[in-house]
Parts: sequence; C-alpha cells; structure tokens
Amino acid sequence: MSFNLENGQSLALIGPNGAGKSTILKILARITRPTLGETEINGQLSALIELGAGFHPDLTGRENIFLNGTILGLSRKEIERRFDEIVDFSEIERFIDTPVKRYSSGMTVRLGFAVASCIEPEILLVDEVLAVGDASFQQKCLRRIHDLIQKGTSIIFVSHNLYLVQAACNTALYLQSGRVKQYGPVKEVIDLYEQDLHQERAQKFEGFESRGSQEGADKLEITQVDVISANEPLATVFPSDQPAQIRIYYNAYRPLGKVHVSAFIIRSDGLICCMMRTKLDNFEVHVDHGTGVVSLSLEPLQLVGGTYFAEAWFLDESDSMALTSKSGRSDWFTVKGSAFSYEDTSGVFTPSTRWTHDPDLNGRGTVRIS
Amino acid sequence: MIADVKSAIQSKDLLLAWTSRNIRARYQQSALGWLWAVIQPAAQTVIFTFIFTMFVPIDTGDVPYGVFSYVAMVPWAFLASSLNDMSGSIVANMSLVTKIYFRREALPIASMLARFMDFGIAAALLVPLLLYFQIPIYPAGLLFIPVILAIQVMLILGLGLATAAANVFYRDVQSLLALGIQLWFYASPIIYPVTMVPEKLRPFYFLNPMAGILEAYRDVLLNGRLPGLYLLPSMVVSFIVFIVGYWFFKRVEYLFADIV
Repeated sequence: MSFNLENGQSLALIGPNGAGKSTILKILARITRPTLGETEINGQLSALIELGAGFHPDLTGRENIFLNGTILGLSRKEIERRFDEIVDFSEIERFIDTPVKRYSSGMTVRLGFAVASCIEPEILLVDEVLAVGDASFQQKCLRRIHDLIQKGTSIIFVSHNLYLVQAACNTALYLQSGRVKQYGPVKEVIDLYEQDLHQERAQKFEGFESRGSQEGADKLEITQVDVISANEPLATVFPSDQPAQIRIYYNAYRPLGKVHVSAFIIRSDGLICCMMRTKLDNFEVHVDHGTGVVSLSLEPLQLVGGTYFAEAWFLDESDSMALTSKSGRSDWFTVKGSAFSYEDTSGVFTPSTRWTHDPDLNGRGTVRIS
Repeated sequence: MIADVKSAIQSKDLLLAWTSRNIRARYQQSALGWLWAVIQPAAQTVIFTFIFTMFVPIDTGDVPYGVFSYVAMVPWAFLASSLNDMSGSIVANMSLVTKIYFRREALPIASMLARFMDFGIAAALLVPLLLYFQIPIYPAGLLFIPVILAIQVMLILGLGLATAAANVFYRDVQSLLALGIQLWFYASPIIYPVTMVPEKLRPFYFLNPMAGILEAYRDVLLNGRLPGLYLLPSMVVSFIVFIVGYWFFKRVEYLFADIV
C-alpha cells in the first residue's frame, strides 16, 4: 500500500479489526519499523495514542503534566508556558495538586488529552482515544482537532466511530487485511465500508437463520419492512420534523391468535436508537392464516440526521418467544436533520421542544433551608 | 552515535522529569522516605562489622572495620540498586513503550539517576564518620573521586542498558541479574580488604571492574593515597561494557514495541 498526506489534510483510517490501522500508526510514530517499505515524515509528529499513558498514580496532576509533556517531547519551558491552558482545558483546576489516583477516569482522560493536544505538532496521530469520555468532552476534543487542522496540522485518525471520523476528517483510507480497499473523500469511503459491514452482518444472520428454519420453528414470516414518509410515500429522505411510518408485512402459515410486535430503529453504526412494542403501547394484534401488514406511525420521526434502518420481530402472546427466526429489516433510510450540516447536531433524537425564558425569577425555583 | 548522544542531551528534560518521578514515587507513601538511602547500606555495614570484629576478626589496619566497609558498601549499593531498577525499567513501562515514541534509554538512565540521589545521601554520612574516627583528609585524593565515579557510572550504564533491553525478551534476565549481583558482592572487596586475596590471583581479581573501583575509593578516602595502576583494568573493562551495552540497547530497541 502507499499513500500521501499533504499539509493540513486530515485522513481517517477505517476498516475491521486486524486490518492494520494501528500498525500504520505505530510505524508512523516510529514505535516500530516496517518489515518492508519506507515512510517519509516531514515535520514534528505527535501521537494521541493512549491518553494518560505514563501518568503515575501517586503523583499529582501538576507533576504528571510535566512528566507526560516531556514524554510527548515538550521541553519543561514549553510546558510551563502552556500550563494554564492545559489546566483550563482539562477542567481540573481544583484538583491539580491531588494525586492522580484519586481522579475519576473522566478527569484522567481530560488531563491526558489536554497535555497531548497542547503540543500543536505538524502531524498528529489520533488512535481511538476519543472513544472514552462523555459526549461533551468528545465535542470539545473535536473542536480542538478542528482548530489544529485550521492551523495547518495534518491529522491521521483511527476510530471505529464512523460519526467521529466523518466529523474530523476529509479523506479516508479503507483498509482490509493490510491492503487499501478504497481511498478517497471520507463520505464515499465510509459509505462503502458501511455497505460491507451491513453485508457481513446479513451473511452472519443467514447462516444463523438457515439453522433455525430447519427446525421448522417458523410459524410466520416477515416478508417486508418499509419505512415511508407519511406525507410523501415515495420519498427516500425523511425530514426529522415530519411524521414517518414503519410498515411490517407478514405471512402467517397458520392462525396464531394474539401476538406482539416489536420494532427497532438502528443507526448505521449499530446503535439501537429506539424500541417500540405493541405490548408497551397496549395495542392488540390478532393474526389469522395469511398475509397482513402492521403499521407504526412516528409523529414526528425526531431522529437526528443520519442513516438508519428499521428492524421488526413478531413475538408470542407472552411477549418473550420470537415467532420468527428471521427479523424483518427495512432498507437503509436517510434522515435529514433541521441543522444545516450534520456536524451541527449530536445525540440521537430531536424532541419537540418549547423554550421559555423568565428573566425575573422572584425567588421561584430556589430552595431555602432554615 | 555522536548524533545519538546529542539527541540524548536534548531530551534532558524528559530524563529529569522521569528521574524526579522515580524519586517521588518511591518516597510518596513512605514514612522514613530518603532515610532509607542510608539505612540500607548502614544496616549491612553494622551486621558485617559485628561479624568481622567479634567472631572472625579481619585486619583493616588503622581504619575501624565499620568505616572500612561502609566506604565500599555505599558505592556498591549504588551499583546494585541501580542495576536492579534499570533492568526492570523498560518492562515496567511497557504500556508507554508500545504506544508513544520517546528516547527509550531515558527509562533506565533515569532509574540510575534516581539511585544516584540515594548514593549522594548515603555518601554524605561519610563526612561525620571520617571526622569522628579522625581519619586524615587527603585533598588530592578527593579530586580523584569524580574520575572513579565516572568509571563506575559507565559500568552501571553499560550493564543496566543491556539488561533492561534483554529483560524485554527474557524475564529470566532480571532474576539472573539478582543472583549475579549477590555473587559479585563476595567477589568484590567490600567486606574484606584486597590484601586478603592471594598475591598470585590479584591480576585476575582486578579484572572485576568493581574491585578496582572500590579499592580506589578506599585509597583516596581512607588510605591517603592516589589509586594505583590497578584502576586501569577497571577503566578499560567499564568502558567496553558501556559501549557494548549501549550498542546492544540501540540495536534492539525498535523491537520493544512488537513484543508484548
């Protein structure tokens, strides 16, 4: 394989485990040597590979900032100059003289990122480090990474979180068993990778299913799952603030009486966004021999912009045994959020909101203890 | 290699930070703290003084046995504790080594520097000791101490770097080293004077670099004379050990991250 990265570009390495993403980073970081071939690196390189690696639990935050900073290649003077900035970013001012062993894991990670990212190197390697920490911290780190890119830092980013990848990078390299599968604009590459992931998942399911149906367990088959826009039945892109409908088509091989149906909406990275069950909604479904359709309306859809699919199951009267060995799946569908670009949104759904503002509190909402 | 040394000097901040980490971490939850630097060699000296004055008297001339053995015990403790810490220094920080690039020799060298502080503290006790026993100070000899120390540091660095690197591949190295240090203790003139070694064996005896180094410390501090030619083999052996140890370390260091 071979690839180039120019100044101020950000490249994502994606691919399944064992594809060689981390090995590339290790070679670039000079931690290990390639068995064959060459790398050429121009400029100061720094690696955000494991946050807080090298922190000594018995030493204070202050001591560890200096220790970690020098490991990452800063001189003592440079750390002194950036000390306040590091403490600010990590939000641990009050605990700066407390041993790190008393920090929460979140605090440790924040401090680690603050030290590592204050370096402003010309090339920055980021390996899966943002998987830790809460959402607001991730946002903060992303902003920081964007700042660095703006200042001309080139970034190589490894993550399984395709959302972060898309938010942080403009090009991507899709690796499979040590080879380049695709290299290009981040969106295209991620789409291909997601397709592959989906296919792989589907294959796994099929293997699993063929075993199931041999036992003749299937009393019912889900023939199709559609997601449609309630207003425009032909639309393939769904606005977040418009109603949508999930339609579950089935074919029952014998009369089943009372059954339960559950449906999920699953984001392209596998996150289950919501679960809807007839049992919870006290909706009764009676199935006779033959075909039919169960519809579920979401008013409005509320999901943030992204790619999703819906999955449905039929369950028996007790809502515990699946009647189908194979779940029904819809095609991928795209949700368009209300924000201009999807980077402006985070989270999973946009609830219908109503803001109010009362500037004169008059003591309401306060608590007094006497 | 010159470029290596230059870049090593540039990473002195890393070395200092790591040294202070080692020292702080060692004394962090310790009640006696730095006093351990003295207690360890002093306790050993007391034990051997007890044995070799009460049960098996050894002739140490005008110098009391306690002072005689403490002068050698302190530099010996520096060597033994340094090697012990250095040999484990890379393995103990494997999580760092496999994830971040920095000059790897900083780890073992900082381990030695941290022990150097102990050495300084334990050596400071010599001043009241020499004054109390009214041992005459020999100024020209004191000037020689940095030379002897430099030889000893070369020896420690060479062995420490080599064992630190080898220990990554085979953990036996650390155990083997501990055993070796025990035997080496008796093969060096710490608890007995060189004069007890048969004349015919002495040329071989001084091939042990610690023999010359310890004897030299005694000559300048206790006997009021400059080290003799016996220091030459120590110098040569230590230098070779340093070059080979450092070369070996640099040669295999890129493999560290691949071995987990």
